[in-house]
Amino acid sequence: MDKQEVNEIARIARLALSDEEIEEFSSDLEDILSYFSVMDEAPTRDDFMLNPVMIENVMRDDEQYQVIDPEILRQSMKVFEGYVRGPRLS
Amino acid sequence: MSDKLSFEFLTRLNEKYKIFSQLINEEEFLKAEGRYHFHFSAKDNLCTIDFQSRAGSRILDGYTPPFDATAVRRLRISGGLLIGKTNMDEFGFGTFCTNSAYGVPRNPFDPDRSCGGSSGGAAATVALLDGHIALAVSTGGSISCPASFCGVIGITPTYGRVSRYGLIDYSNSLDKIGLICRSATDLRTYLPLISGPDSLDPTSCSQPILDLSSSRIKRIGIPKEAMEGISGEVEAAFRKAIEITEEQLSIKVEEVSMSSLRFALPAYYVLATSEASTNLARYCGMRFGIVKDDVNAHFNTFFSEVRSKFFGKEAKRRILLGTYCRRIGFRDRYYLKALSVRQIVKEEYLRIFQDFDLVVMPTMPFIAPRFSDIQKMKPLDMYKADFLTVPPNLVGMPHISLPCGYYHGIPIGFQLVAPHWEERRLLHFAECWESVFEYQFPEVKL
Repeated sequence: MDKQEVNEIARIARLALSDEEIEEFSSDLEDILSYFSVMDEAPTRDDFMLNPVMIENVMRDDEQYQVIDPEILRQSMKVFEGYVRGPRLS
Repeated sequence: MSDKLSFEFLTRLNEKYKIFSQLINEEEFLKAEGRYHFHFSAKDNLCTIDFQSRAGSRILDGYTPPFDATAVRRLRISGGLLIGKTNMDEFGFGTFCTNSAYGVPRNPFDPDRSCGGSSGGAAATVALLDGHIALAVSTGGSISCPASFCGVIGITPTYGRVSRYGLIDYSNSLDKIGLICRSATDLRTYLPLISGPDSLDPTSCSQPILDLSSSRIKRIGIPKEAMEGISGEVEAAFRKAIEITEEQLSIKVEEVSMSSLRFALPAYYVLATSEASTNLARYCGMRFGIVKDDVNAHFNTFFSEVRSKFFGKEAKRRILLGTYCRRIGFRDRYYLKALSVRQIVKEEYLRIFQDFDLVVMPTMPFIAPRFSDIQKMKPLDMYKADFLTVPPNLVGMPHISLPCGYYHGIPIGFQLVAPHWEERRLLHFAECWESVFEYQFPEVKL
Protein backbone atom coordinates (compact mmCIF):
# COMPACT_ATOMS: atom_id res chain seq x y z
CA MET A 1 0.00 0.00 0.00
CA ASP A 2 1.59 3.32 -1.00
CA LYS A 3 1.98 6.23 1.39
CA GLN A 4 -0.73 8.30 -0.27
CA GLU A 5 -3.22 5.50 0.27
CA VAL A 6 -2.21 5.13 3.93
CA ASN A 7 -2.71 8.87 4.35
CA GLU A 8 -6.16 8.68 2.79
CA ILE A 9 -7.22 5.75 5.00
CA ALA A 10 -5.85 7.54 8.05
CA ARG A 11 -7.91 10.63 7.18
CA ILE A 12 -11.08 8.51 6.97
CA ALA A 13 -10.22 6.86 10.31
CA ARG A 14 -9.51 10.25 11.94
CA LEU A 15 -5.84 9.53 12.59
CA ALA A 16 -3.19 12.18 12.02
CA LEU A 17 -0.05 10.18 11.35
CA SER A 18 3.56 11.36 11.33
CA ASP A 19 5.72 10.78 8.24
CA GLU A 20 7.54 7.99 10.11
CA GLU A 21 4.26 6.28 10.98
CA ILE A 22 3.02 6.52 7.39
CA GLU A 23 6.25 4.98 6.15
CA GLU A 24 6.09 2.14 8.68
CA PHE A 25 2.37 1.37 8.22
CA SER A 26 2.73 1.47 4.45
CA SER A 27 5.27 -1.33 4.58
CA ASP A 28 3.39 -3.35 7.26
CA LEU A 29 0.04 -3.14 5.47
CA GLU A 30 1.60 -4.12 2.17
CA ASP A 31 2.94 -7.30 3.81
CA ILE A 32 -0.35 -8.08 5.53
CA LEU A 33 -2.59 -7.46 2.51
CA SER A 34 -0.29 -9.51 0.34
CA TYR A 35 -0.69 -12.38 2.82
CA PHE A 36 -4.50 -11.92 2.79
CA SER A 37 -4.53 -12.66 -0.96
CA VAL A 38 -4.53 -16.40 -0.13
CA MET A 39 -8.26 -15.92 0.49
CA ASP A 40 -8.71 -15.34 -3.24
CA GLU A 41 -8.31 -19.13 -3.61
CA ALA A 42 -11.22 -19.83 -1.23
CA PRO A 43 -14.65 -20.42 -2.74
CA THR A 44 -17.14 -17.58 -2.41
CA ARG A 45 -20.39 -18.44 -0.67
CA ASP A 46 -23.63 -16.59 -0.26
CA ASP A 47 -25.07 -18.67 2.59
CA PHE A 48 -22.89 -17.29 5.36
CA MET A 49 -24.12 -15.78 8.62
CA LEU A 50 -22.93 -12.58 10.26
CA ASN A 51 -22.37 -14.40 13.56
CA PRO A 52 -20.73 -17.78 14.13
CA VAL A 53 -23.88 -19.21 15.74
CA MET A 54 -27.55 -18.60 15.06
CA ILE A 55 -28.71 -15.55 16.98
CA GLU A 56 -32.45 -15.02 17.36
CA ASN A 57 -34.04 -11.67 17.95
CA VAL A 58 -35.01 -11.23 21.57
CA MET A 59 -38.16 -9.24 22.25
CA ARG A 60 -38.97 -7.59 25.54
CA ASP A 61 -42.11 -6.11 26.94
CA ASP A 62 -42.75 -2.64 25.57
CA GLU A 63 -42.27 -0.92 28.89
CA GLN A 64 -40.07 2.01 29.77
CA TYR A 65 -37.08 1.25 31.91
CA GLN A 66 -33.68 2.74 32.59
CA VAL A 67 -30.48 0.78 33.13
CA ILE A 68 -28.21 3.75 33.81
CA ASP A 69 -29.25 7.28 34.75
CA PRO A 70 -28.14 9.60 31.89
CA GLU A 71 -27.02 12.11 34.52
CA ILE A 72 -24.33 9.63 35.59
CA LEU A 73 -23.16 9.31 31.98
CA ARG A 74 -23.04 13.10 31.58
CA GLN A 75 -20.63 13.35 34.49
CA SER A 76 -17.84 12.01 32.30
CA MET A 77 -18.53 14.44 29.43
CA LYS A 78 -18.32 18.20 28.86
CA VAL A 79 -21.79 19.58 29.52
CA PHE A 80 -23.38 23.00 29.42
CA GLU A 81 -26.86 23.57 30.85
CA GLY A 82 -27.66 19.88 30.56
CA TYR A 83 -26.43 19.55 26.96
CA VAL A 84 -23.34 17.57 25.94
CA ARG A 85 -20.71 19.82 24.38
CA GLY A 86 -18.82 18.64 21.32
CA PRO A 87 -16.49 20.19 18.74
CA ARG A 88 -17.58 22.49 15.91
CA LEU A 89 -19.09 20.90 12.81
CA SER A 90 -17.99 23.70 10.48
CA MET B 1 -8.62 -19.07 51.13
CA SER B 2 -8.87 -15.46 52.29
CA ASP B 3 -6.31 -15.97 55.08
CA LYS B 4 -3.64 -17.05 52.57
CA LEU B 5 -3.66 -13.81 50.64
CA SER B 6 -2.20 -10.60 52.04
CA PHE B 7 -2.29 -7.15 50.52
CA GLU B 8 1.47 -6.84 50.88
CA PHE B 9 1.99 -10.10 49.01
CA LEU B 10 -0.28 -8.95 46.18
CA THR B 11 1.50 -5.62 45.94
CA ARG B 12 4.93 -7.21 45.79
CA LEU B 13 3.71 -9.77 43.28
CA ASN B 14 2.46 -7.01 41.05
CA GLU B 15 5.67 -5.01 41.36
CA LYS B 16 7.64 -7.99 40.14
CA TYR B 17 5.33 -9.40 37.45
CA LYS B 18 3.18 -6.38 36.34
CA ILE B 19 0.11 -8.61 36.18
CA PHE B 20 -2.45 -6.02 37.23
CA SER B 21 -3.17 -2.70 35.58
CA GLN B 22 -4.99 -1.78 38.78
CA LEU B 23 -4.94 -3.60 42.09
CA ILE B 24 -7.60 -3.42 44.81
CA ASN B 25 -6.77 -0.71 47.34
CA GLU B 26 -5.64 -1.70 50.79
CA GLU B 27 -8.69 -0.36 52.60
CA GLU B 28 -11.11 -2.35 50.42
CA PHE B 29 -8.97 -5.45 50.69
CA LEU B 30 -8.82 -5.31 54.48
CA LYS B 31 -12.55 -4.61 54.68
CA ALA B 32 -13.25 -7.76 52.65
CA GLU B 33 -10.83 -10.03 54.51
CA GLY B 34 -12.53 -13.20 55.70
CA ARG B 35 -15.79 -12.19 54.02
CA TYR B 36 -15.38 -13.70 50.56
CA HIS B 37 -15.45 -17.26 49.23
CA PHE B 38 -12.87 -16.88 46.47
CA HIS B 39 -10.72 -14.20 44.85
CA PHE B 40 -10.91 -13.37 41.18
CA SER B 41 -9.62 -10.84 38.67
CA ALA B 42 -11.14 -9.33 35.56
CA LYS B 43 -9.32 -8.50 32.36
CA ASP B 44 -9.04 -4.75 32.00
CA ASN B 45 -11.55 -4.66 29.12
CA LEU B 46 -14.37 -5.76 31.44
CA CYS B 47 -16.31 -2.91 33.00
CA THR B 48 -16.12 -2.62 36.77
CA ILE B 49 -17.78 -0.05 38.95
CA ASP B 50 -14.93 0.24 41.45
CA PHE B 51 -11.87 0.00 39.18
CA GLN B 52 -10.83 1.84 36.07
CA SER B 53 -11.57 -0.09 32.87
CA ARG B 54 -8.97 0.97 30.35
CA ALA B 55 -8.54 -2.09 28.12
CA GLY B 56 -4.78 -1.51 28.20
CA SER B 57 -5.21 1.80 26.37
CA ARG B 58 -4.14 5.34 27.24
CA ILE B 59 -7.25 6.65 25.49
CA LEU B 60 -9.39 5.18 28.29
CA ASP B 61 -7.24 6.55 31.10
CA GLY B 62 -9.50 7.71 33.92
CA TYR B 63 -12.56 5.76 32.76
CA THR B 64 -14.45 4.13 35.63
CA PRO B 65 -17.74 2.75 34.32
CA PRO B 66 -20.98 3.28 36.25
CA PHE B 67 -21.78 -0.45 36.07
CA ASP B 68 -20.28 -3.94 36.30
CA ALA B 69 -20.01 -6.31 33.34
CA THR B 70 -22.48 -9.17 33.80
CA ALA B 71 -19.72 -11.77 34.26
CA VAL B 72 -18.10 -9.64 36.97
CA ARG B 73 -21.44 -9.05 38.68
CA ARG B 74 -22.24 -12.77 38.64
CA LEU B 75 -18.94 -13.69 40.30
CA ARG B 76 -19.35 -10.97 42.92
CA ILE B 77 -22.83 -12.12 43.92
CA SER B 78 -21.47 -15.67 44.15
CA GLY B 79 -19.09 -14.53 46.88
CA GLY B 80 -16.06 -13.52 44.83
CA LEU B 81 -13.71 -10.69 45.74
CA LEU B 82 -12.41 -8.79 42.75
CA ILE B 83 -8.75 -8.15 43.60
CA GLY B 84 -7.69 -6.38 40.43
CA LYS B 85 -7.91 -5.67 36.73
CA THR B 86 -5.43 -7.71 34.75
CA ASN B 87 -3.01 -6.31 32.25
CA MET B 88 -3.67 -6.88 28.56
CA ASP B 89 -2.69 -5.83 25.06
CA GLU B 90 -4.46 -2.60 24.11
CA PHE B 91 -8.09 -3.53 23.27
CA GLY B 92 -6.91 -7.15 22.86
CA PHE B 93 -4.59 -6.32 19.97
CA GLY B 94 -1.65 -8.63 20.47
CA THR B 95 -0.25 -12.11 20.94
CA PHE B 96 2.46 -11.38 23.52
CA CYS B 97 0.92 -8.82 25.92
CA THR B 98 3.58 -6.31 24.92
CA ASN B 99 1.08 -3.70 23.67
CA SER B 100 -0.28 -2.42 26.99
CA ALA B 101 0.01 1.19 28.09
CA TYR B 102 0.22 -0.03 31.69
CA GLY B 103 3.32 -2.21 31.67
CA VAL B 104 4.30 -5.56 30.24
CA PRO B 105 3.45 -8.59 32.42
CA ARG B 106 6.24 -11.11 32.99
CA ASN B 107 5.97 -14.84 32.55
CA PRO B 108 5.97 -16.53 35.97
CA PHE B 109 8.17 -19.35 34.65
CA ASP B 110 10.80 -16.97 33.23
CA PRO B 111 10.46 -13.18 33.61
CA ASP B 112 12.43 -12.64 30.38
CA ARG B 113 9.64 -14.32 28.45
CA SER B 114 6.15 -13.23 27.37
CA CYS B 115 2.98 -14.27 29.20
CA GLY B 116 1.19 -14.44 25.88
CA GLY B 117 -1.67 -12.22 24.88
CA SER B 118 -3.89 -10.65 25.02
CA SER B 119 -5.07 -11.92 28.46
CA GLY B 120 -1.45 -12.16 29.64
CA GLY B 121 -1.99 -10.64 33.08
CA ALA B 122 -4.91 -13.00 33.70
CA ALA B 123 -2.95 -16.17 32.90
CA ALA B 124 0.13 -15.06 34.85
CA THR B 125 -2.00 -14.24 37.89
CA VAL B 126 -3.48 -17.74 37.90
CA ALA B 127 -0.01 -19.29 37.56
CA LEU B 128 1.19 -17.24 40.54
CA LEU B 129 -1.84 -17.40 42.85
CA ASP B 130 -3.23 -20.72 43.97
CA GLY B 131 -7.04 -20.80 43.95
CA HIS B 132 -7.36 -17.70 41.80
CA ILE B 133 -9.99 -17.42 39.07
CA ALA B 134 -9.41 -15.01 36.18
CA LEU B 135 -12.09 -13.65 33.90
CA ALA B 136 -10.48 -13.39 30.48
CA VAL B 137 -11.62 -12.56 26.96
CA SER B 138 -10.78 -14.18 23.64
CA THR B 139 -11.31 -12.80 20.16
CA GLY B 140 -8.77 -14.86 18.21
CA GLY B 141 -6.91 -16.81 20.90
CA SER B 142 -6.44 -14.40 23.77
CA ILE B 143 -7.35 -17.04 26.36
CA SER B 144 -5.67 -20.12 24.89
CA CYS B 145 -2.36 -18.44 24.04
CA PRO B 146 -1.56 -16.98 27.47
CA ALA B 147 -2.90 -20.09 29.21
CA SER B 148 -0.45 -22.15 27.16
CA PHE B 149 2.53 -19.83 27.77
CA CYS B 150 1.81 -19.62 31.53
CA GLY B 151 1.04 -23.32 32.08
CA VAL B 152 -2.58 -22.96 33.19
CA ILE B 153 -6.05 -23.89 31.92
CA GLY B 154 -7.92 -21.50 29.65
CA ILE B 155 -11.47 -22.17 28.47
CA THR B 156 -13.12 -20.15 25.75
CA PRO B 157 -16.82 -21.05 25.76
CA THR B 158 -19.10 -21.08 22.74
CA TYR B 159 -19.79 -17.64 21.26
CA GLY B 160 -22.83 -16.35 23.17
CA ARG B 161 -22.47 -18.69 26.18
CA VAL B 162 -21.33 -15.89 28.50
CA SER B 163 -22.98 -12.48 28.36
CA ARG B 164 -20.73 -9.77 26.97
CA TYR B 165 -22.64 -6.95 28.58
CA GLY B 166 -19.96 -4.63 29.93
CA LEU B 167 -17.20 -5.91 27.67
CA ILE B 168 -15.26 -3.19 25.86
CA ASP B 169 -15.67 -4.56 22.35
CA TYR B 170 -12.86 -5.51 20.04
CA SER B 171 -14.83 -7.48 17.45
CA ASN B 172 -18.51 -8.19 18.10
CA SER B 173 -18.84 -11.33 16.03
CA LEU B 174 -15.76 -12.89 17.65
CA ASP B 175 -15.51 -11.70 21.28
CA LYS B 176 -16.08 -14.31 24.01
CA ILE B 177 -15.62 -14.14 27.77
CA GLY B 178 -14.07 -17.19 29.42
CA LEU B 179 -12.06 -18.36 32.38
CA ILE B 180 -8.45 -19.05 33.23
CA CYS B 181 -7.86 -21.29 36.23
CA ARG B 182 -5.68 -24.13 37.53
CA SER B 183 -7.97 -27.17 37.55
CA ALA B 184 -10.97 -28.83 35.96
CA THR B 185 -12.65 -28.66 39.37
CA ASP B 186 -12.46 -24.86 39.18
CA LEU B 187 -13.99 -24.97 35.71
CA ARG B 188 -16.85 -27.13 36.92
CA THR B 189 -17.46 -24.69 39.76
CA TYR B 190 -17.08 -21.33 38.06
CA LEU B 191 -18.13 -21.77 34.43
CA PRO B 192 -21.82 -22.25 35.34
CA LEU B 193 -21.69 -19.07 37.46
CA ILE B 194 -20.86 -16.83 34.50
CA SER B 195 -22.84 -18.70 31.81
CA GLY B 196 -26.47 -18.34 30.84
CA PRO B 197 -28.80 -15.88 29.15
CA ASP B 198 -28.69 -12.19 29.98
CA SER B 199 -31.31 -9.85 28.55
CA LEU B 200 -28.64 -7.14 28.31
CA ASP B 201 -26.76 -9.16 25.67
CA PRO B 202 -29.07 -10.65 23.00
CA THR B 203 -26.30 -12.91 21.68
CA SER B 204 -26.45 -14.80 24.99
CA CYS B 205 -30.18 -15.45 24.77
CA SER B 206 -30.25 -18.18 22.11
CA GLN B 207 -28.13 -20.68 24.06
CA PRO B 208 -29.14 -24.12 25.26
CA ILE B 209 -28.65 -24.79 28.98
CA LEU B 210 -25.04 -25.44 29.99
CA ASP B 211 -24.91 -29.18 30.60
CA LEU B 212 -21.72 -30.36 32.29
CA SER B 213 -22.78 -33.97 32.78
CA SER B 214 -20.21 -36.58 31.83
CA SER B 215 -19.52 -37.11 28.15
CA ARG B 216 -17.57 -40.09 26.87
CA ILE B 217 -14.67 -39.18 24.60
CA LYS B 218 -13.80 -42.00 22.20
CA ARG B 219 -12.10 -40.41 19.21
CA ILE B 220 -10.11 -37.24 18.71
CA GLY B 221 -8.91 -35.84 15.38
CA ILE B 222 -5.65 -33.97 14.69
CA PRO B 223 -5.79 -31.76 11.58
CA LYS B 224 -2.55 -32.59 9.78
CA GLU B 225 -2.38 -29.04 8.37
CA ALA B 226 -2.12 -27.71 11.93
CA MET B 227 1.20 -29.48 12.44
CA GLU B 228 3.01 -27.51 9.74
CA GLY B 229 5.36 -24.88 11.17
CA ILE B 230 5.38 -26.20 14.74
CA SER B 231 8.68 -25.92 16.63
CA GLY B 232 10.52 -29.12 17.53
CA GLU B 233 10.02 -28.78 21.28
CA VAL B 234 6.28 -28.14 20.95
CA GLU B 235 5.82 -31.02 18.51
CA ALA B 236 7.71 -33.41 20.79
CA ALA B 237 5.60 -32.46 23.85
CA PHE B 238 2.40 -32.64 21.81
CA ARG B 239 3.20 -36.10 20.37
CA LYS B 240 4.02 -37.34 23.86
CA ALA B 241 0.69 -35.98 25.16
CA ILE B 242 -1.15 -37.78 22.35
CA GLU B 243 0.66 -40.99 23.27
CA ILE B 244 -0.51 -40.62 26.90
CA THR B 245 -4.05 -39.88 25.71
CA GLU B 246 -4.13 -43.06 23.63
CA GLU B 247 -2.36 -45.36 26.07
CA GLN B 248 -3.60 -44.19 29.45
CA LEU B 249 -7.00 -42.71 28.60
CA SER B 250 -7.81 -45.28 25.88
CA ILE B 251 -8.91 -42.56 23.48
CA LYS B 252 -8.28 -43.10 19.78
CA VAL B 253 -6.42 -40.18 18.15
CA GLU B 254 -6.29 -40.03 14.35
CA GLU B 255 -5.04 -37.59 11.78
CA VAL B 256 -7.67 -35.76 9.73
CA SER B 257 -7.48 -33.27 6.90
CA MET B 258 -8.75 -29.72 7.29
CA SER B 259 -7.73 -27.91 4.15
CA SER B 260 -9.66 -24.72 4.98
CA LEU B 261 -7.33 -23.96 7.90
CA ARG B 262 -5.02 -21.95 5.64
CA PHE B 263 -7.81 -19.46 4.97
CA ALA B 264 -8.79 -19.01 8.62
CA LEU B 265 -6.04 -16.61 9.71
CA PRO B 266 -6.54 -13.95 7.00
CA ALA B 267 -10.33 -14.26 7.33
CA TYR B 268 -10.05 -13.72 11.05
CA TYR B 269 -7.86 -10.62 10.68
CA VAL B 270 -10.19 -9.14 8.07
CA LEU B 271 -13.29 -9.60 10.25
CA ALA B 272 -11.58 -8.62 13.49
CA THR B 273 -9.97 -5.44 12.19
CA SER B 274 -13.06 -4.42 10.19
CA GLU B 275 -15.21 -4.67 13.30
CA ALA B 276 -12.53 -3.12 15.52
CA SER B 277 -12.15 -0.11 13.25
CA THR B 278 -15.83 0.72 13.72
CA ASN B 279 -15.89 -0.12 17.45
CA LEU B 280 -12.97 2.17 18.15
CA ALA B 281 -14.64 5.10 16.40
CA ARG B 282 -16.34 5.94 19.71
CA TYR B 283 -13.01 6.92 21.29
CA CYS B 284 -12.74 10.48 20.10
CA GLY B 285 -12.18 12.64 23.16
CA MET B 286 -15.83 13.27 24.01
CA ARG B 287 -16.72 10.29 26.19
CA PHE B 288 -14.91 7.49 28.02
CA GLY B 289 -11.51 8.29 29.51
CA ILE B 290 -9.62 11.09 27.84
CA VAL B 291 -11.97 14.05 27.33
CA LYS B 292 -10.61 17.02 25.44
CA ASP B 293 -11.28 20.60 26.54
CA ASP B 294 -11.00 22.46 23.28
CA VAL B 295 -14.58 22.26 22.00
CA ASN B 296 -13.97 25.27 19.75
CA ALA B 297 -11.84 23.11 17.46
CA HIS B 298 -13.27 21.67 14.22
CA PHE B 299 -14.45 18.08 14.78
CA ASN B 300 -11.88 16.64 12.37
CA THR B 301 -9.01 18.21 14.29
CA PHE B 302 -10.60 17.47 17.66
CA PHE B 303 -11.14 13.76 16.95
CA SER B 304 -7.87 13.20 15.06
CA GLU B 305 -5.70 14.84 17.70
CA VAL B 306 -6.93 12.76 20.60
CA ARG B 307 -6.98 9.49 18.63
CA SER B 308 -3.48 10.03 17.22
CA LYS B 309 -2.03 10.93 20.58
CA PHE B 310 -3.61 8.26 22.76
CA PHE B 311 -4.01 5.14 20.58
CA GLY B 312 -0.96 2.86 20.57
CA LYS B 313 0.82 1.75 17.41
CA GLU B 314 -0.90 -1.63 17.05
CA ALA B 315 -4.33 -0.05 17.57
CA LYS B 316 -3.57 2.42 14.77
CA ARG B 317 -2.33 -0.38 12.52
CA ARG B 318 -5.52 -2.41 13.02
CA ILE B 319 -7.78 0.62 12.57
CA LEU B 320 -6.06 1.35 9.26
CA LEU B 321 -6.29 -2.25 8.13
CA GLY B 322 -9.96 -2.57 9.06
CA THR B 323 -10.86 0.76 7.49
CA TYR B 324 -9.12 -0.30 4.28
CA CYS B 325 -10.95 -3.65 4.15
CA ARG B 326 -14.34 -1.92 4.54
CA ARG B 327 -13.82 0.63 1.75
CA ILE B 328 -16.16 0.73 -1.21
CA GLY B 329 -14.78 -1.62 -3.83
CA PHE B 330 -12.91 -3.79 -1.31
CA ARG B 331 -15.83 -5.06 0.77
CA ASP B 332 -16.51 -8.09 -1.45
CA ARG B 333 -12.86 -9.04 -1.71
CA TYR B 334 -12.18 -8.86 2.01
CA TYR B 335 -15.15 -8.66 4.39
CA LEU B 336 -17.67 -10.78 2.48
CA LYS B 337 -14.97 -13.25 1.47
CA ALA B 338 -13.95 -13.60 5.11
CA LEU B 339 -17.57 -14.38 6.03
CA SER B 340 -17.57 -17.07 3.33
CA VAL B 341 -14.39 -18.53 4.79
CA ARG B 342 -15.94 -18.60 8.25
CA GLN B 343 -18.80 -20.70 6.83
CA ILE B 344 -16.37 -23.06 5.05
CA VAL B 345 -14.21 -23.58 8.17
CA LYS B 346 -17.32 -24.16 10.27
CA GLU B 347 -18.61 -26.81 7.88
CA GLU B 348 -15.24 -28.52 7.87
CA TYR B 349 -15.25 -28.71 11.67
CA LEU B 350 -18.82 -30.07 11.60
CA ARG B 351 -17.80 -32.73 9.08
CA ILE B 352 -14.98 -33.84 11.38
CA PHE B 353 -17.30 -33.87 14.40
CA GLN B 354 -19.48 -36.46 12.64
CA ASP B 355 -16.72 -38.98 13.37
CA PHE B 356 -14.73 -37.41 16.20
CA ASP B 357 -15.67 -36.06 19.62
CA LEU B 358 -12.94 -33.41 19.75
CA VAL B 359 -10.27 -31.83 17.57
CA VAL B 360 -6.81 -31.35 19.07
CA MET B 361 -3.71 -29.41 18.10
CA PRO B 362 -0.88 -27.64 19.90
CA THR B 363 -2.07 -24.30 21.29
CA MET B 364 0.87 -22.24 20.08
CA PRO B 365 3.53 -23.12 17.50
CA PHE B 366 6.38 -22.28 19.91
CA ILE B 367 7.05 -21.87 23.64
CA ALA B 368 6.73 -18.43 25.25
CA PRO B 369 9.26 -16.28 23.38
CA ARG B 370 11.81 -13.98 25.02
CA PHE B 371 11.05 -10.25 24.82
CA SER B 372 14.31 -9.76 22.92
CA ASP B 373 13.04 -12.12 20.20
CA ILE B 374 9.59 -10.50 20.07
CA GLN B 375 11.23 -7.14 19.33
CA LYS B 376 12.67 -8.59 16.13
CA MET B 377 9.30 -9.84 14.85
CA LYS B 378 7.37 -7.98 12.15
CA PRO B 379 3.61 -7.43 12.63
CA LEU B 380 2.76 -10.13 10.08
CA ASP B 381 5.00 -12.64 11.90
CA MET B 382 3.10 -11.89 15.10
CA TYR B 383 -0.27 -12.34 13.38
CA LYS B 384 0.88 -15.67 11.96
CA ALA B 385 1.68 -16.93 15.46
CA ASP B 386 -2.11 -17.12 16.01
CA PHE B 387 -2.72 -19.69 13.27
CA LEU B 388 -3.68 -22.47 15.71
CA THR B 389 -5.87 -20.45 18.07
CA VAL B 390 -7.75 -18.54 15.39
CA PRO B 391 -9.80 -21.35 13.72
CA PRO B 392 -12.07 -22.26 16.69
CA ASN B 393 -12.42 -18.57 17.55
CA LEU B 394 -13.42 -17.71 14.00
CA VAL B 395 -16.31 -20.19 14.11
CA GLY B 396 -17.26 -19.58 17.76
CA MET B 397 -16.65 -23.16 18.88
CA PRO B 398 -15.71 -23.82 22.52
CA HIS B 399 -12.09 -24.74 23.14
CA ILE B 400 -9.70 -25.29 25.99
CA SER B 401 -5.95 -25.04 26.38
CA LEU B 402 -4.40 -27.46 28.86
CA PRO B 403 -0.76 -27.79 29.92
CA CYS B 404 0.65 -30.86 28.14
CA GLY B 405 4.42 -30.70 28.63
CA TYR B 406 7.45 -28.65 29.68
CA TYR B 407 10.60 -27.77 27.79
CA HIS B 408 13.41 -26.92 30.23
CA GLY B 409 10.72 -25.89 32.68
CA ILE B 410 8.78 -23.69 30.21
CA PRO B 411 5.17 -24.85 29.75
CA ILE B 412 3.63 -26.10 26.52
CA GLY B 413 -0.11 -26.40 25.93
CA PHE B 414 -2.46 -28.28 23.68
CA GLN B 415 -5.86 -27.05 22.57
CA LEU B 416 -9.04 -29.10 22.22
CA VAL B 417 -12.06 -27.93 20.26
CA ALA B 418 -15.66 -29.16 20.65
CA PRO B 419 -18.85 -28.50 18.67
CA HIS B 420 -20.95 -25.45 19.59
CA TRP B 421 -22.44 -25.63 23.13
CA GLU B 422 -20.54 -28.87 23.98
CA GLU B 423 -18.35 -27.42 26.74
CA ARG B 424 -18.97 -30.62 28.72
CA ARG B 425 -16.73 -32.60 26.36
CA LEU B 426 -13.87 -30.20 27.09
CA LEU B 427 -14.47 -30.38 30.81
CA HIS B 428 -14.65 -34.17 30.74
CA PHE B 429 -11.39 -34.40 28.81
CA ALA B 430 -9.73 -31.90 31.20
CA GLU B 431 -10.75 -34.06 34.16
CA CYS B 432 -9.40 -37.21 32.50
CA TRP B 433 -6.19 -35.43 31.50
CA GLU B 434 -5.53 -34.29 35.06
CA SER B 435 -5.68 -37.90 36.22
CA VAL B 436 -2.71 -38.84 34.03
CA PHE B 437 -0.68 -35.61 33.76
CA GLU B 438 0.61 -33.50 36.63
CA TYR B 439 0.65 -29.73 36.16
CA GLN B 440 3.63 -27.74 37.40
CA PHE B 441 3.41 -24.26 38.85
CA PRO B 442 6.25 -21.80 39.31
CA GLU B 443 7.89 -21.20 42.64
CA VAL B 444 7.05 -17.64 43.65
CA LYS B 445 10.10 -15.79 44.99
CA LEU B 446 9.59 -12.13 45.90
